[in-house]
Order: sequence, then structure tokens, then C-alpha cells
Amino acid sequence: MKMTRRRCYALCVLTLSLLLTVAGFAQSQSATELKDAAAKAPSAADMQKGDPGGSITGTINDVPVSDSKAGLTLGDVANQIGQNKIAINFTWTLITGFLVMFMQAGFAMVEAGLCRVKNANHTYMMNFVVYGCGLLAYWLIGFAIQMGGAAGNGNLGGLAPLASEHTLSLFGHTWGIFGGSGMFLAGHTYDVGVMVIFLFQMVFMDTALTIVTGACAERWKFLTFCVSSILMGAFTYPLFANWAWGAGWLSQLGTNLGLGKGYCDFAGSGVVHAVGGLTGLAVAMIVGPRIGKFNRDGSSNPIIGHDISAVLIGCFILAFGWFGFNPGSTLGASANGNLRIGSVAVNTMLAGCTGTFGALLYMWILKGKPDASMSGNGLLAGLVAITAPSGFVSAPGAAIIGLIAGVLVCFSVSFVENALKVDDPVGAISVHGTCGLWGVLSVGLFADGTSNYGGSWNGVTGSVTGLFYGDSSQLVAQLVGISTLLGFVFTFSFLLNLGLEFFLGQRVSVETEVAGLDLPEMGQLGYPEFVFRPEPEILAQAQAVAVA
Amino acid sequence: MAANTGQGKGFGLFLVGLTVGCAGIAYLSTGTGKVAAIVGAAIVLASLFSFLKIKPLEGATAQKASSTVMKLVGAATVCLGWLVTIGGLHAASTTGGRLVVALIGIAVSLFGMLYVLPTTFNKNALWKA
Repeated sequence: MKMTRRRCYALCVLTLSLLLTVAGFAQSQSATELKDAAAKAPSAADMQKGDPGGSITGTINDVPVSDSKAGLTLGDVANQIGQNKIAINFTWTLITGFLVMFMQAGFAMVEAGLCRVKNANHTYMMNFVVYGCGLLAYWLIGFAIQMGGAAGNGNLGGLAPLASEHTLSLFGHTWGIFGGSGMFLAGHTYDVGVMVIFLFQMVFMDTALTIVTGACAERWKFLTFCVSSILMGAFTYPLFANWAWGAGWLSQLGTNLGLGKGYCDFAGSGVVHAVGGLTGLAVAMIVGPRIGKFNRDGSSNPIIGHDISAVLIGCFILAFGWFGFNPGSTLGASANGNLRIGSVAVNTMLAGCTGTFGALLYMWILKGKPDASMSGNGLLAGLVAITAPSGFVSAPGAAIIGLIAGVLVCFSVSFVENALKVDDPVGAISVHGTCGLWGVLSVGLFADGTSNYGGSWNGVTGSVTGLFYGDSSQLVAQLVGISTLLGFVFTFSFLLNLGLEFFLGQRVSVETEVAGLDLPEMGQLGYPEFVFRPEPEILAQAQAVAVA
Repeated sequence: MAANTGQGKGFGLFLVGLTVGCAGIAYLSTGTGKVAAIVGAAIVLASLFSFLKIKPLEGATAQKASSTVMKLVGAATVCLGWLVTIGGLHAASTTGGRLVVALIGIAVSLFGMLYVLPTTFNKNALWKA
């Protein structure tokens, strides 16, 4: 027995020694290889001669060394690889964020182009100032509410400082309600990764805000617009965005209740566009239609925009920016299945294309002309609809989603105007609200189960799969998201703006509206050298008639 | 009257109040934070009342008053649909059951949004005059 034990000890010691020797050998071999590589690296004299072929720039000499006495180690190399991954993802996320920021210019051109000359300055200014209003509100509190508990994103280095999600225990499960870290980006959220996600999420939030300005154009009081936008950027948008993207309860429907992978909204058909569109509907109802929009019998009059070239160029700018919106939502280009960015970008293009055709053919076949503004809205409708499913569907799926959105937007514009009697000068409610909801729904139908972003989504292992590919529970999660958008976001926005109606008043006076908002509200005409053509009598009703 | 200096001052006050209030919330665990939150809220309220004070100077708008109660009923109906959906997640345990309840919830919300509220706003609409 003693002999056996001794033999065991001896065997263990021998194995350990062997392992240490092998490890030491491997380490010394790696160290030797690193030294060899360093010796072969171009010298300072070589570098001074210039590198026209690009073959000697970027070598082992460029890898930072943590201990100059020890020289380059494997640890240094591994750290550099990790930092390169994060650097690629930072760069990708920032550049796509810059593209999304530029979409503000597209929105400004589309909205102003679809409004009359007398309101051009006011409409452009709303689109300009909404950027500042949203950014300020988001920096103060909105970001903390949305992303304050969103730690754990490996693409951006973990975002560990954002680890404060307020939760609620209900029905035996814990649900995220709102975040708490990141106000003013101060304290421990003064962090490189947090700054990147702040910039990216901020420009998304601002997109939602600028949708409302289109729905309420040509009669919204500038002051009320400013306050309303700040409150939306501070509370309305961040709350829903937290529930969907910031570790909130909608994203936990999969882990808590087994509903697919939880509510899935890849780039924001619901979070950005439906929130903007539904808020636009709420405010447009409160503000009321423009003078002359509807006749006594309820029929509507077309109020033609002043610059179709601005509208179409604006649409192109938006389509360009959408390449930041959707592919950028991977939050990285390296690791975790992020190479799917090509598929996301192509899906985005295709849906925009088929959306344009859907609207163009609808108008051409049913109304006789390939209407330019509706074609533009068709492009945007397709892009809005593909925003949620872009990361989860195939190219044919994207084309179908876009085509349906292009036709849907035409029906919706007609329904909003003729059935609801809500005046939406640019079609924002239909483009962003209706097609945003369609985009959310389409994830639950068309997601093909081939995406694999690190092996799981919303903490549930596997790929997002819709009804047509065998998972009906994903559709339920999407319907819960739609119900939340309708029942919570709309109601919250409606009550908030009803409060502003009481304190500030939402609408400009009749004199201001008839004269055009440029001079009374902004103090300057958009086009001071233009000679205004008198409007048709029906659109320029006298003050007495309007007040009667 | 349109845009004016009173509005500008009130808006400036609102921004100051919001910033101070948010700073207070950020440091709510400290005594200074609590004071800042209260002061911020007071400034925001003051700005809202300054808006209310100058609101009558704006002049008449192309709107007619409609029932506030019905607006609230409409909003409550829209919200009710959401509560039905949320309740259904707990009440129904099967995917099919949850699907049906979610659709019912959406239908209730749409009824409030697309029927109750437009009917309320359009009842006394200016264009009907």
C-alpha cells in the first residue's frame, strides 16, 4: 500500500515537472520567436527611406511593450489583439453613428420641402434645434434611463460602468424598468466605451424626435416644440428604449416567459420610428389640422409642398444615413457574428428599393401618376420597416417586407387623412408609425434563424426565428412590443403633450398661421427674395372665418 | 403675439430648472443632491407657470375646445389595451393563448386611438363650422 502511494506521488511529481518543462520550453520558444521577429523588423534607417509599397509600416515594433526590460511578451501581443477588436468596433460604431447624425439633414430637407414657402424657416429650424434639445435632455437624464443598466456588451469592452438597472418583481420574475447610471456622463461612466454607446444611442434618439416635427409642421408653436422635444428625449424615448435595448422587461420576455428571444428590434423600427410616429400622431391630434386642410363635408384639400427637389434629395440623404442606422446596430464589425453587417446593409438597400416600387406602382396604377412625394415616402417606408428585421432576415424576406411597407404607407396616409381627419403634412405618422409597427411585426414572421450574434440574443441561446421558420412564440413577443408601443408610448406622449397644451398651448395663433410661421415665430423669412403667390382661397381663409 | 422675449426667458428658466433638477437626481443620495432636486423641480414649475401667464397674449388659435374628459377616456382606453396584453402574459400559459390575448389588447388600444380620440377631437372641429 505504501509502495503504491509512493509511486503515485512520484508519478504526479514527474508529470508536473514534465508539464512545467513543456510550458517553459513553449514560453521560451515563443519569446525567442518574438525576439527573432523584432530583430527582422525594419530598422529606423529603413523607415527613414519611406515606405511607398506599404510593406514595412505596421510591424512588431508597433506593438506596445508593457515592460521595456522584459521586452515584448505574449501577453503584450494578446492585449494588442483585444484592443484591436475593440478599436475596430469603436470605429465602426462611431462612424455609423456619424452617418445617422447626418440623417437630420435629410429629415430637414424632406419636411421643409413638403411644407409651404411661408413656413420653410420654421420647419428647418425645428429640425435644426431638435438636435440640441434632444442631445441636452439625453445627456442630462435620458441616457441614464435608457442605458444605465445595459452592461455586458462584449463588442464595446463590456460597458461595465452601466450596471444599475432598477427592477420590479412581478409574477415570480424580475423585470428591468429603467436604468440609473450615466447622468451627465460623470463619475464612473466617464469611460471610453460608455462615450461610444452614448453617441450612437443619442443620434438614434434624435431621429425619433425629429419625426414629430414633420407630423405637426406648419402650425406647431416653436416654444412648445422645444419643451415637448426635451421631454420626449428625456423620458418617453428612453423608457421604451430601455425596455427593448437596455436590459428592460421587453428584452426579458424570452428569458422570463420563454417567448422566443424576447422582443427583438435590431435597429429600431419600434424603438425609434414607431415611438416617433405614435408621438407624432398624439401631438397632431392635439394640435389639430391646418387651416384649410379639411372642408365642411370632411373632404380634404391637398396642400402642396414648395420644393420637391429638396424632398427627393432629402430622401437620398436619409437612405445614405440608413447604412449607419442598420449595419451600425451590430455595435461592431469584429467578433460575435458581426460579419453579418454585409447582409444587414444589403437588406436595407433592398427594402428601400421595393418600398419605392410599392408606393410608385400604387400611385401610378390607382391614381394615374408616379407621384414623387409618395415615391419618396415609399423609400422611407421600406427603410423604416426593415430597420427591426434587418439583422434577422434573408434578402428575399427584406424585399417582401419593403414592398408591403411601400403599399402600406399609401393606404395609411389616406386612412390618417380621410378617416381620422388628422393632418400630417409630410406623412410621418404613416411612414414611421404604421411602417414601424409593421417592421416590428415582420421580425416575428420573417426572421430566418440564421443570425448568430455571439450565439444568443437577449440572453436566450440560439438565433431569432419567426413564425414562417417555425417559432410562433417570437411573434407573441413582437405583439407584446406592439401593444406596448400603442398602449404605453402613445398614451404617455398624449398625456404629456396634453399637459403642455394646458401650460403653453400647442398651436400658433390664427394670424401667425395664415401669415406663415417664418416671420412671427422665427423673425425671418426662409426665402426673403421670393414673391409669394397668393394661396387658393380655401387655404387662406380669413381670420374671421377661422375663429368663428 | 408669436415668439417673444417672455417665451425666451421662460424657456431659459425651464432649461436651468431641468439641469439643476437632473443634477439633484444624479446625486440624490447626498444632502446637496436632495436640495438641488427640489430647487430644480421648483424652477421647472415656475417656468411652466410663466408660460401659463403669457399664454393668453398669444391670440386665438384655429381650434375649438373639445371634452377633456373624453380625451382622458380615450387615453385610458388606449392604455387599457396594453394592460390587457400584459395581464394576458400571466393569465395565459400557452403561446396560442398569449397570442390571442395580445391581439385583443392591441384591438382595444386601436379602438381608443383610432375611434374614441379622433371622434372626440373632431366633434367640434373648426373645419365643421
